[in-house]
Amino acid sequence: MLSGLRVLDLSDESGFLAGKVLGDLGADVVKVEPPGGDLAGRRAPFLHGRADPERSLAWLALNTSKRGITLGVESPPGRALFRRLLATADVVLETGAPGLPRWLESLGIGFEDCAGEHARVVWCAITPFGRSGPRAHWRAGDLVVVAMGGNLKMTGDPDRPPVRCSMPTAWYHAAPEAALGILMALHQRERTGRGQLVDVSLQETQLQTLLSAPGQHALHRRPQQRTGARLGRTREIWPARDGYVSFGLRGGPARVPNLVATVAWMAEEDAAPDWLRAYDWQRFSHLTVGDAEIARLEEAFGAFFAMRTMRELYEQALARRILLAPCNDAREIVEHPQLRSRELFVTLDYPELGAAIEHPDFFARTADRAIRIRRRAPRVGEHNAEVYGELGLGAPELEKLAAEGAV
Amino acid sequence: MGVFEGLKILELGSGAAGPVATRYFAEQGARVVRIESAKRPDFLRVLFLTPDSKLGLDGSPMYVLLNPDKESVALDMSRPEGVALAKRLVAWADVVAENFSPGVMAKWGLDADGIFALRPDAVVVSGCLFGQTGPQRSYPGFGGQGSAIAGFNHLTGWPDREAHGPYGTITDSLSPRYVAVALAAALLERRRTGRGRHVDLSQIESGVYSLAELVVRWSANGEGEVRRGNASEREAPHGVYPCRGPDAWIAISVRDDAAWRALVGVLPDWAREAALGSVAGRLAARDALDARMTDWTRPQDALALAERLQAAGVEAGPVQGFDALLADPQLAHRGHFVPIRHAQLGELPFERSGFRLSQSPGGFSRPGPNLGEHNQAVLGGILGLSAEEIEALVARGVVA
Repeated sequence: MLSGLRVLDLSDESGFLAGKVLGDLGADVVKVEPPGGDLAGRRAPFLHGRADPERSLAWLALNTSKRGITLGVESPPGRALFRRLLATADVVLETGAPGLPRWLESLGIGFEDCAGEHARVVWCAITPFGRSGPRAHWRAGDLVVVAMGGNLKMTGDPDRPPVRCSMPTAWYHAAPEAALGILMALHQRERTGRGQLVDVSLQETQLQTLLSAPGQHALHRRPQQRTGARLGRTREIWPARDGYVSFGLRGGPARVPNLVATVAWMAEEDAAPDWLRAYDWQRFSHLTVGDAEIARLEEAFGAFFAMRTMRELYEQALARRILLAPCNDAREIVEHPQLRSRELFVTLDYPELGAAIEHPDFFARTADRAIRIRRRAPRVGEHNAEVYGELGLGAPELEKLAAEGAV
Repeated sequence: MGVFEGLKILELGSGAAGPVATRYFAEQGARVVRIESAKRPDFLRVLFLTPDSKLGLDGSPMYVLLNPDKESVALDMSRPEGVALAKRLVAWADVVAENFSPGVMAKWGLDADGIFALRPDAVVVSGCLFGQTGPQRSYPGFGGQGSAIAGFNHLTGWPDREAHGPYGTITDSLSPRYVAVALAAALLERRRTGRGRHVDLSQIESGVYSLAELVVRWSANGEGEVRRGNASEREAPHGVYPCRGPDAWIAISVRDDAAWRALVGVLPDWAREAALGSVAGRLAARDALDARMTDWTRPQDALALAERLQAAGVEAGPVQGFDALLADPQLAHRGHFVPIRHAQLGELPFERSGFRLSQSPGGFSRPGPNLGEHNQAVLGGILGLSAEEIEALVARGVVA
């Protein structure tokens, strides 16, 4: 969908996925690494545990559909080369540096510095708090972003500290917002002929995860508390025999049929006491039901779920239209029959590493597979000759630039 | 002027994931018309509706907050006349965005082919839990199941306790962003080719796509990441530590030796221990480090300590609840919350997206609509029906 668009991706780990989204949509994304490679981004864990930047699994996962070059923008020849590349680009994606959201400006090659000469370039900066404001210079990785963005405080058990997801969700939320901002700016460019700056705040993208809860809170200002495996007053996460399942013990028209179906299944298995068989779910509301009643219901459902495996429970949920789902681990995701039937996973070959690795291929499907992985993540400087060759630079010039620390 | 001034979006569906996707376009000036029904209202309109509630269908804060600057037309889609009006709106629209279960649109003759027959260059996006194809496509579900199936629950929480998803059912906030990306990309493509297209988005798949690193780690090494509380695999200290006051916490993370040295400059003398100078040493002493950090942070004020640590070059921040967010000076600087008055609820803080365009500020000015609030504007203004015709449709219960 984006063929013909050239993106220079100077991002660190916080922006890898944003560049990948554009690449998987068909843009020509050129990943720019410092000479020697982005060693912080090419982080552990490594393929088969062997520490080597070319074997970083996070790198391989998040930089598909990109070509890769090395470019030292901190050296003067590197900066000059960056400006030459810029003349071929539609989009720049960058993430500043820790504590320095305007890192490229500090080198004289930031948005404002280049906007005159390269007015058509859309420039996207993903930074922890945005490019200006009282906390713009604060440093933050995933943990501090989710802490200051409001999600952390509401996640976890009431008797323990707030807790984060063990994978960096801050980058996951920011990536599509950055891609969307870039696409919007490209739309506007069709009208005006000019690019503009897309200023993405990691903190601000976190607030969307609260689904308007701060605004709702402003109405009543009641104290908020983490509720762990509960959602509000009733249990949402239940132990199964071999793991956990999600099942909402909540009422309302959209949920009543599933509660009825669950009790019917329990009755078939002789696991529903008489009072539960006769339960009036139409009148059940998780907002008004008493604590003792919640305890009685949770004991009955909980005992039933705890005796069955996640797979047994899910199979019956599918057959009976019960709103219950397994808390899948990686293996269960990759083996999921629905995802496999949709061909979500694609195997990429890494011959020099002696490996073939499965990746999720798309974030949405189209009949012509317009959204898919175009190529594996690049090795360090893999496309230097190709990309710089497109600028008219030959081997001798590249050698000179390498000697100067530019590539 | 908004980027999408003049763009016409027709939206059908309910809940959070669908409406949030089109909100990005409303923020940039698109005209977004929602087809709703009084008979089967959007469940967000009744989510917190208790029998004694006086607010009714138009006073649900979540609905109102997630649907600013949109228009609502009420049609009874169980009646052929209702469907006929919807089809005329499809012919008007550049974009049709729907998030029903698979098959619902087809029942009205409004599957992608039906839409293209009415509007050949439409961009159509269908977003649901599992996508439009496959053996489990009809499985009914909400975000809670999406988060569990996509793997987020398993990764969130304490190793000795239940898996629980990040607050707010993460697929409900991730997937609408990908719907919006797909729409914006398809519209850009349409400018070039003149052709529309149909995008089939599964909320679970866009979640798994986000977790690409997890899939790759499993496939490459046979290792599935687990939930590890706030610990990092690669560094320590990396945690959430108590501060002075009720439920007050600070998040502190060290990403390398340089960051550790910056932290040592602020910490008491125990931190100068030579063994803590390396990543391996800190990881080996993780529990003891966390205990000492906890003792050190507990009597301190979270914000003041965060400011001190940031000044020293350490990643740190107060764990902010809703009150802190509403008062956050950085979010205020960015104009994140936009106060808008709602007739029943009073003034509410509506929320902007996470990015700003330097030349296209965008924004919101109207709260989420009452059900059918724009019947006149849509049926009269867009379809050209006369006041009498609309009255007759209301009388027959078609517009309801």
